[in-house]
Amino acid sequence: MIAAIPLKQQKVGTVLGVLAVVLVMVMIVALSIGQVTIPVKDIVMIMLYKAGLTAQEPDAVLETVLWSIRLPRIIMTVLIGAALAISGAAMQGLFRNPLVEPGLIGVSSGAALAVVAFVVFGIALIGNSVFGTSVMMPVAAFVGGFVATMLVMKIGQQLGKTNIAVLILGGVAINALAGALMGLVIFYADENQLRMFTFWTLGDLGGATWQKVLITAPVLLLSSVWMLTYQFPLNAIAIGEAEAFHMGVDVERVKKSIVFFSALAVGVSVSLAGIIGFIGLVVPHLVRVIFRADNRLVLPASLLGGPILLLLSDLLARTLVAPTELPIGVVTALIGAPFFIFLLIRANHRNEFNTR
Amino acid sequence: MIEAKHIGLSINGKTLLNDVNLSVQPGTFTAIAGPNGAGKSSLLKILSHELTHYKGEVRINDVVASSYSVAQLSAVRAVLPQHSHVQFPFTVKQIVEMGRQHFKTTSKNNDALLEEVMELTGVVDWANRNYLTLSGGEQQRVQLTRVLAQVWDQKTFPRYVLLDEPTSSLDIAQQQLIFSLVKKACERNIGVLAVVHDLNQAVQFADHLYFMRNGAVVAQGESKTVFTKPIIEETFCCRVNVYHDPCTNCPYIVPERTTLSTLKTASV
Repeated sequence: MIAAIPLKQQKVGTVLGVLAVVLVMVMIVALSIGQVTIPVKDIVMIMLYKAGLTAQEPDAVLETVLWSIRLPRIIMTVLIGAALAISGAAMQGLFRNPLVEPGLIGVSSGAALAVVAFVVFGIALIGNSVFGTSVMMPVAAFVGGFVATMLVMKIGQQLGKTNIAVLILGGVAINALAGALMGLVIFYADENQLRMFTFWTLGDLGGATWQKVLITAPVLLLSSVWMLTYQFPLNAIAIGEAEAFHMGVDVERVKKSIVFFSALAVGVSVSLAGIIGFIGLVVPHLVRVIFRADNRLVLPASLLGGPILLLLSDLLARTLVAPTELPIGVVTALIGAPFFIFLLIRANHRNEFNTR
Repeated sequence: MIEAKHIGLSINGKTLLNDVNLSVQPGTFTAIAGPNGAGKSSLLKILSHELTHYKGEVRINDVVASSYSVAQLSAVRAVLPQHSHVQFPFTVKQIVEMGRQHFKTTSKNNDALLEEVMELTGVVDWANRNYLTLSGGEQQRVQLTRVLAQVWDQKTFPRYVLLDEPTSSLDIAQQQLIFSLVKKACERNIGVLAVVHDLNQAVQFADHLYFMRNGAVVAQGESKTVFTKPIIEETFCCRVNVYHDPCTNCPYIVPERTTLSTLKTASV
């Protein structure tokens, strides 16, 4: 059983160091294992060759598998895992509610609506080309997610301030509206389109290419790392919005930045890999329940923990039913949900959550 | 000095404060008393700059409050609300040190100051305990420690602590403890302003007393001089008797038993 360790400030570095080492190890395992196994020795060889440090040519098949398929996929998985987890952590802190996940502010449902509309109507307009599905669909997802979030933000504005309760209700309303509109669009969909959409909503990390990674990596990295800088404001807000203001935190600016950057991070993630649930909700909780609620730990540990969990899930997704793949969203929920329930039952006994 | 001049506030057409003047001197304890709905909390929110759409002017250390940035404000004043609902399991020390985030000098100095304040308020033994497992009184003491830590540093300018009914849910021993601690803060060139419900406590601890009713100041002055039967009866519309306690050398009140008929005459 995992014990809750009372964490001193000095130990934060140790925890993060261990997580970083685990992440690197998991990345190497994920690079190595798959339909074709690439021994670690060959991974190193190929990397050295690509870096121009050795002239010895590696096995061509292994090189192609590693360099063109597995490496971009692993990098994309790491970036998406980090973006989802830190967005979840930041939003739970901001909303002072441990049940919040990024989907609450409409990102996922807005993106889903845009995608289903694109699959049903858009493809008919521009034809089912590679360009259509691999470029336009992610763009539609991102735009849909972002528009929905901005709407929710707008609804939450009262007298120039963001009212969190109204914001959450606005999110519920926008999610419901998006769901209804999706239903309407699906009404016009044929079997094929329906299948395509269903698979998209379950998430897929298989579409990674270097091109996609290079375009999106700066955005994902920047927004994830930027959210790291909100450790103190989020700690202060955990005591109360007014208290945070008294302690010198510009609460309004913090709210707007975090909603904006998590919409950006999650929007881009959804556009790359579809809807991957649970990472944003569960990873910050794992950190909080195993260690402590201090955001000086929760934010950076989520940034490292998200990729670990998503890499492991992806590893299972692509090896369990090889040569095909399970949808990643199914795996994250299948592993995440029971573990989460276990943690909740345990936390209940230890008063980890304020139930008043 | 915190100086509020001609403060007026209305929300949705209802006047909450009307031409209120008030000042808080550094190194002294000023208390505000008055019936529910007198506008005490609103006034406190204006002084802490949480509410900004008021009429009149607030000056803190001779500078208009609205020209301070949020961070600058936090260096001159700290605020203790009635209740704080913490949602996540922070440790006591983590909560207390949040008050110091903006003013960390060296980590050694900072730790020494935290230690000093925590020692003073008696929370040092709980430093690594989960805040959520503390009792209400203990939690309030931790919050007070955080607030004091924010302004504890000796600086070139006076600092202020604003408290909104800081003892409303505490037993009498805890209440006395909180007020004694606040009194200690006055010795460090800190001005204290507190909304206080218990009149006997107000007169026992405060140097200066304001009585408020219906959004206006009824009377104000040195506590023992304004603590009189006519002023208190006018403020609260309640018959009281004022006695003198030789032990504390303080006046104290005992309200008369209210009958429905006296209530009616009082409200006329």
